[in-house]
Amino acid sequence: MILIIAIGIGTLFGIALYQMLQRNVIRSAIGVILLGSAINLFLLTAGNSNGTGPAYSTVTETQVDPLPQALVLTAIVISMGGLAFILAMLYIISARYQTGNLDEIDNLKH
Amino acid sequence: MNNLTILPILIPFAGALLLLLLPRTVRGWMAVGLMAISLAASALLLWTVTTTGEAQVYHVGGWVTDNIPFGITLVGDQLAAFMVLMAQLVLTLGFVYALGCNDQVTTYPTFYPVFLMLTVGLSGAFLTGDLFNLFVFAELLVVSGTILTAIADDRFGTEAAFKYFYMSLLAAAFLLLACGVLYISYGTLNMAQLGVAISAETTPLALIALGLLLATFMAKSATVPFHFWQPDFHAAAPTPVSATLSSVVVKLGIYGFLRLTTLLYVDQAPQIQMVLLVAGVIGIVYGGLAAIGTHNAKRMLAYSTIAQLGFILVGIGWGTPLALAAALVFAFNHALIKAAMLMLAGAIASRAPVKSADFNIITGVGKQFPFMGVLFFIGALGLAGIPPTNGFISKMLLFNSGIVGTEYVSLLIIGVAAILTLIYTIRAFMRVWFVAPATPGKSKKGDLLIAPALLILLVLVLGLWAEPLVALATDTATWLENPSTYIEAVIGNGFVLTEVP
Repeated sequence: MILIIAIGIGTLFGIALYQMLQRNVIRSAIGVILLGSAINLFLLTAGNSNGTGPAYSTVTETQVDPLPQALVLTAIVISMGGLAFILAMLYIISARYQTGNLDEIDNLKH
Repeated sequence: MNNLTILPILIPFAGALLLLLLPRTVRGWMAVGLMAISLAASALLLWTVTTTGEAQVYHVGGWVTDNIPFGITLVGDQLAAFMVLMAQLVLTLGFVYALGCNDQVTTYPTFYPVFLMLTVGLSGAFLTGDLFNLFVFAELLVVSGTILTAIADDRFGTEAAFKYFYMSLLAAAFLLLACGVLYISYGTLNMAQLGVAISAETTPLALIALGLLLATFMAKSATVPFHFWQPDFHAAAPTPVSATLSSVVVKLGIYGFLRLTTLLYVDQAPQIQMVLLVAGVIGIVYGGLAAIGTHNAKRMLAYSTIAQLGFILVGIGWGTPLALAAALVFAFNHALIKAAMLMLAGAIASRAPVKSADFNIITGVGKQFPFMGVLFFIGALGLAGIPPTNGFISKMLLFNSGIVGTEYVSLLIIGVAAILTLIYTIRAFMRVWFVAPATPGKSKKGDLLIAPALLILLVLVLGLWAEPLVALATDTATWLENPSTYIEAVIGNGFVLTEVP
């Protein structure tokens, strides 16, 4: 299980970095959001160091640390707000320039 | 009176929600009133901390047993209280400027509530004693700052806001990753507990977290390798917002560096200080040269922020109590001067034929407004560090601490680079107030000058009567030298690190 999650985190990080380096603003924004998801998954596994049994239950196996789950919940809500906001800004920018290519969105270069 | 610690966060937060229910016409006045109350609360907090000599700790929700906090802790130690007072002072005057501002953006229904949320984010980030809570407040700060810039009158506002938001999401990702890494290593996110745990045993993961935290705070304070979002963003923001962004919001990074070197990573402090010293010196030279090369008054002042923050970083980098006190005085004085200068640049832009701070447009506009010229000139002197302004006090203290600490190489470089400040501020002053205007037109009604005038008055008062501020900063530096004061206030003596497999 740990191995699968570790591979998942690594893959997400890789995809995120690849997308962030693209010349398209929307791809690169999606890359940042994916990076946030990779980190959320990493945080989630931080609670598994004691055991993986459900927290606050009567099971006999060692229970998972519930605090990282609360942290991830907060981080997910924040990144959802960020995603909505960044896409709204991208809509305005790409409508203004009629392109998503970062090389052509250059009016800030005074 | 520990409830005092939460008031600088709670008053603007309640105010932001309350303002949404009120009619649009009274929102600005209500916001200024609430900020005045909040400013009084933070002043009372600083006064309480200074007189009692104890950090005011507030455990949110009362989740504490035997002095060991389990929930979020708000810690009003002297550094946090000092930073909050600085932030709220400048933000209150930012609200005053917004009241007299002609920008379209101040008439939007959400402007004042979002501006108050920016205050909540900044005050909360200074006051919190929990690393994850710092992440939440920093995100709140970033989102409010981005919204305020994205709706700016400047047509490049959205692009600048996107650039900042992208950068800040990356910084937030680093901070979140650092939280996760530290939680795996030590099983806690409370900064006092982390300070004890990291100095007891530094795991390799903790060093990774140190790198991530350094990157985060460098991105937040626009330190040189991470500075590129800053001039665009600060130049495009609406004037009342950019005045606060460029003066106090960037100080969040400075606060983070101080906490890193004096609380979390005390044993690794020499290495961190070396990094900050190099970044600071590069920032001073780069910021000064870039400010000379700009064609826009607001942009020039934004680059100048990079240089001025460089001085503060050099102070933290030297790391002696004297240098830390000088860095704190510098941070306070820079907040006042930079806010005043940006407000004046925005006010002159609002009086120009086309609303813009571009030097080609505002050349000669100042000729009809000699009072504003006097204010700008005093601000320019303050930025360059010439008496009788408080800029002189902060530069004198910083250079003095460098001489005492025999740091002659960095002192020489920053001493020469400090002259660059004089070149660009005086050049801007001459172009706006002494050159004949390109297109002689009649004067326009512009933004009110109450807020910048008050700030310049403070600049002069703190330049002539600097002793209270210097004494306060010296006292704060003593606090920073003894992290045990902070740790004892939060977790007492009974902290035993739980075993983490």
